[in-house]
Amino acid sequence: MNWKRTLGLDNLSEEYSFARDESTGYTSAKKIPDHWVPTTCGYCSVGCGIEIGVKDGRAVTSRPFAAHPVNRGKLCPKGLSEHYTLESENRATYPLLRQNGKLMRIGWDEALSVMAERFRATQKAYGPEALGVLSTGQLVTEEFYTLGKLVQLGFGTNNYDGNTTLCMASAVSGYKVSFGSDGPPGAYEDMERADMVLLIGANLADNHPILCQYLEANRNKTLIVADPRVSKTAMMADIHLPLKPRSDLALLNGIAHILVRYNLIDREYVDGHTAGFAELERFLDRYTPERVAELTGLSEETIFKTAVLYGRAKAGFIGWTMGVNHSTLGTATVNAICNLALLTGHIGRAGASPFSITGQCNAMGTREAGFASSLPGYRKFESAQDRADLAAIWGIDESRIPIKRGLAYPDIVEAAVAKRIRALWIIATNPLVSYPNQDVLRNGLSNLDFLVVQDGYHPTPTTELADLVLPAAIWGEKEGTYTNSERRVSKVNQAVAPQGEARSDFDIFLALAEKLGCREELYSGWTTVEDAFNEWRRVSQGRLCDYSGISYALLAEHGAVQWPLTEGAAPQRTSRLYSDGQFQTPDGRAKLVCTDWAPFPEQPTGHYPFVLNTGRTVEHWHTRTKTREVPILERLSPRAWLEMNPRDAKRLGLRSHDSVDVVSRRGRVRAVELRLTEITAPGQVFMPFHFAETNVNEVTQDAFDPISREPNYKQCAVRVERSGANA
Amino acid sequence: MAETGYVYLDELPLMESALLSTTPRSLVQIKFEPGPLIPERPLGAGEQYRFHFDMTKCIGCKCCVVACNEQNGNPAAINWRRVGEVEGGHYPNTQRHHLSMGCNHCLEPSCLIGCPVEAYTKDPITGVVLHSADTCIGCQYCVWNCSYGVPQYNAERGVVGKCDMCHNRLSDGDAPACVGACPEGAIAIEIVNIAEWRRDYLSADAPGLPSADDSISTTRITLPDNLIPDTGRVDTQRVGPEHPHWPLVFMLVLTQLSVGAFVVLWLLDMLGRGTGLTITALASLTLAGISLGASTLHLGRPIYAFRALKGLRRSWLSREVLTLSLFAGAASVFAGMLIFNLPGRSVAGFCTVLAGLAGVTSSARIYVVRARPAWFSAYTLVEFYSTALLLGPLFVQVLLVQILGETIPSWVGLAAVAGASAQLIAQMLKFLWLSRSEVFELRASSLLLSGSLQNLFLTRLAVLAIAGVLLPLIAARGWLIVVAFALVLAGEWLGRYLFFVSVVPKNIAAAFTSGERAAA
Repeated sequence: MNWKRTLGLDNLSEEYSFARDESTGYTSAKKIPDHWVPTTCGYCSVGCGIEIGVKDGRAVTSRPFAAHPVNRGKLCPKGLSEHYTLESENRATYPLLRQNGKLMRIGWDEALSVMAERFRATQKAYGPEALGVLSTGQLVTEEFYTLGKLVQLGFGTNNYDGNTTLCMASAVSGYKVSFGSDGPPGAYEDMERADMVLLIGANLADNHPILCQYLEANRNKTLIVADPRVSKTAMMADIHLPLKPRSDLALLNGIAHILVRYNLIDREYVDGHTAGFAELERFLDRYTPERVAELTGLSEETIFKTAVLYGRAKAGFIGWTMGVNHSTLGTATVNAICNLALLTGHIGRAGASPFSITGQCNAMGTREAGFASSLPGYRKFESAQDRADLAAIWGIDESRIPIKRGLAYPDIVEAAVAKRIRALWIIATNPLVSYPNQDVLRNGLSNLDFLVVQDGYHPTPTTELADLVLPAAIWGEKEGTYTNSERRVSKVNQAVAPQGEARSDFDIFLALAEKLGCREELYSGWTTVEDAFNEWRRVSQGRLCDYSGISYALLAEHGAVQWPLTEGAAPQRTSRLYSDGQFQTPDGRAKLVCTDWAPFPEQPTGHYPFVLNTGRTVEHWHTRTKTREVPILERLSPRAWLEMNPRDAKRLGLRSHDSVDVVSRRGRVRAVELRLTEITAPGQVFMPFHFAETNVNEVTQDAFDPISREPNYKQCAVRVERSGANA
Repeated sequence: MAETGYVYLDELPLMESALLSTTPRSLVQIKFEPGPLIPERPLGAGEQYRFHFDMTKCIGCKCCVVACNEQNGNPAAINWRRVGEVEGGHYPNTQRHHLSMGCNHCLEPSCLIGCPVEAYTKDPITGVVLHSADTCIGCQYCVWNCSYGVPQYNAERGVVGKCDMCHNRLSDGDAPACVGACPEGAIAIEIVNIAEWRRDYLSADAPGLPSADDSISTTRITLPDNLIPDTGRVDTQRVGPEHPHWPLVFMLVLTQLSVGAFVVLWLLDMLGRGTGLTITALASLTLAGISLGASTLHLGRPIYAFRALKGLRRSWLSREVLTLSLFAGAASVFAGMLIFNLPGRSVAGFCTVLAGLAGVTSSARIYVVRARPAWFSAYTLVEFYSTALLLGPLFVQVLLVQILGETIPSWVGLAAVAGASAQLIAQMLKFLWLSRSEVFELRASSLLLSGSLQNLFLTRLAVLAIAGVLLPLIAARGWLIVVAFALVLAGEWLGRYLFFVSVVPKNIAAAFTSGERAAA
């Protein structure tokens, strides 16, 4: 006991003293570092420039780059407190192997040997495809590129997918169908330069708050937000479209109908750069304003107003996130968005773009370099030419490159249930919180012969089930690049040493390749991530996502730059795809797609009368493995809640702060705090998905988009009852 | 460039320096240029700085809260800037807005007025309400006084802390942390003419904020044009008990007992009922002394308790310390004179009584603050005096009659009965007042008393009725009267505990789900 403190002689004035930092100015003395390490934020895909303040080898503070082209001197609350994620009791610090039912500490060499042996043995017994790999959007591009080669060429399995399938796969599939390739065409700056912005299923204020400053800076826009919930973003809108759950596709078709019928389209653009207009025109006949009003619950007038504003805009921007993607009609809805842009020519110009705002810090990196849902450099498994190109670059036999994509994430889980996948490697993702319908997942994982989980944190609900836990270095402890939603590549740098014996994922992949005996073949001469980056530049050269002009030296000179950047070209402040109207299809024309609306799969019934919507809150990131370690974020958002309209609650005799269970045909979430609010429509309820303790994915539905394989997280039928009522 | 606080890559001059070898050239950290978000001219006479909060711009991201904590090195549980939610209307015409508030740097700062050690100053140039952690003794009186929950007690340090508008940054030409962190530019510092603001401070009010009348908040708030009239707090159903402040519960009841006892002793002495008074006086004095000493345990920095005399001009807490010290002094003299049977005791006794009554009044006045509506009434005075009237006579009666075997006049017992009755009636009337009020904080107090505190509240009333009224009426001596005294003493402690925990302070709106309670 500190008696000086007890008496009051000491009031910790030293700890609470202030001083002047050369560039930050007057601030808490303990937050003034020895040096600053420039890097990029490791949470979402906005890609904010950030500096980590390091003092005595520890990260003590984070601050935004004032001059960064993305975040313009701002960070969201997660970024401002990101240094707290590094040091925690819940970091994974040593390899752990399950022995006699318990996870026991072992050395790295043993861990990697066991892993290689067990995976090889499984593949020998059940075929190479019996090994599945679930990766992430959280690694650096260099690691994705390295991992893709290791899985597909080293282990020889194509049953490899990422949690990105739970996130933006529908955007990828939609872009591929409409434009012939993945790749978001626009830039953040478009939000500032458009005169009409339509956000659909996108709650930027909670999920990408830093992008809101682009909207705030745009004084000449009309902002329309389509969301069944009166989200924080809906409150920013000039016009909020409170449409019925999952009626977005009907709305988009209805807008297209009006555009075509009232000749609000850019006929010259349609004729010059698209294919399929005649079919689309016929197809849209059935989406009359009367019918669309009925399907969406919006007035005909509102639908007309939206269509006219978009059709007459000089530069129309449509942004979307998970409200669109998390759907069994996700790909189709993305196509319908692209249809609007193509019909009006709102693409490839400043302010004009159909723009998917992605989730994770480097989801884009894995899309481009990953070798999971497509071959590196947006190449197609199905294209013999693409396979031959790659084989030539790598100097390997073409036959080693798979001719089709392996199982997607949900199909890997299904295959584990059916015991066709016998061993699984999960990297930097936490499906035991994030996967829809947890029962199926637990069932699948319990069937496995061997489960390896590689993560920065332990315990997580997923590492707790592992046979082998590999401790990984995280953001702030390793080097590489991230690519953000607007195709901007930024450097990620190491500020502090990894905790304990944790190693960077890159190191782990190379060491594992060594064990497998394929390091020399796959990664000849590689020692640093820059070696991987330089090979990736060659692989991407000449592709839509051309990185060949981007080097570490260039990034050190210019900061964050957008692809495509061909070798020798000078980086521009902002670049857009398809400015020339040439698309990545065989005939160079974008495709107008007929996309029919259908109701979401699980409609409410008498027994399950509510439509459950899921989403995020600004304080937390994904499954909260990181943000639960940040005291200020936990203080601001300590637990989950369920939003319900007071009119429904009155009927059920429930009050705010009551503890309720949410029940679906698949499971039950226990003891959620009820919030009565007019934010949510009668008949609907909303719950955030971050919280392992009250995991909404116990009840969500495992229904998937047929093309993207993305889950339908946003709507399922539930009932709400007082906790303990039927216990 | 100055307008937005950022520069584009191609607008940044290239610089050659060692710093740039590690940081991308174009991303070199330049000083944030707050532009119009902080004043561009110096303050004139009769002006001060204030916050401007634009509710139409705020998106509720809470960057300001995190930035403030980092700026000031505060632990997560202390938030000098907080973001609340307000909501109104009906789906789909719902409005939800946020309220980001630091200190309002009031024209009549109630924290400053109440502070017994003058730890608060209102900066004569900037108008910023400053708090000195070195002067502060951690009495937390400012916490009770502020209608916005701004000063927050840091138990780790033993002192209070609060938003100082980052005035050191301002004087360097830098934006305060919250202003600089806001992605929407919703928070700004501006200059206000004090006299004009005093005449019309209507734009200091907003849904989710206590009335600016309490202390004339200077924060100007821009509200949405189309604000729905029923817009209000979303946290009103999350009301919990406040901190009990045990040393104060202990101290208040015992000093009041002691004051009541000395009144009785003085009267008995004047009436010539001298035997046994000395021991009773010494016992009462001892209780007062112990309780005054124990009350310093309430302070974050007990060693500096003596500083509490500094704020006599303004602070009822200083006056309480002074009057109760005088009471203890006068009571010692009176007791000494009793021991040596000196003449002129009635004057000393009278002084003791005067100081004691002033002490009880000062104690009560501490709690009569606008920021704690359930305390802000005459009931507080009645409650404290009733305790003195109940416990003082009964204590004397038990000691003289039961322990020392003396006889005393019956009015002593009846005085106690009167005290108990007054307390009982006052408590019931107060509850009626609370439960029928339309003021949220008052209603919420009554809901606490009839909700989670119901059993304790009923016990308290039953003890008053049985042990305070009934028993003294049926037994003037014997073990029953000892039991009655023990019960009412416990009952008054319980009552004072309820006094502290059942008050619902005024505060700014909080978020629906947060670790933050309604008040510190």
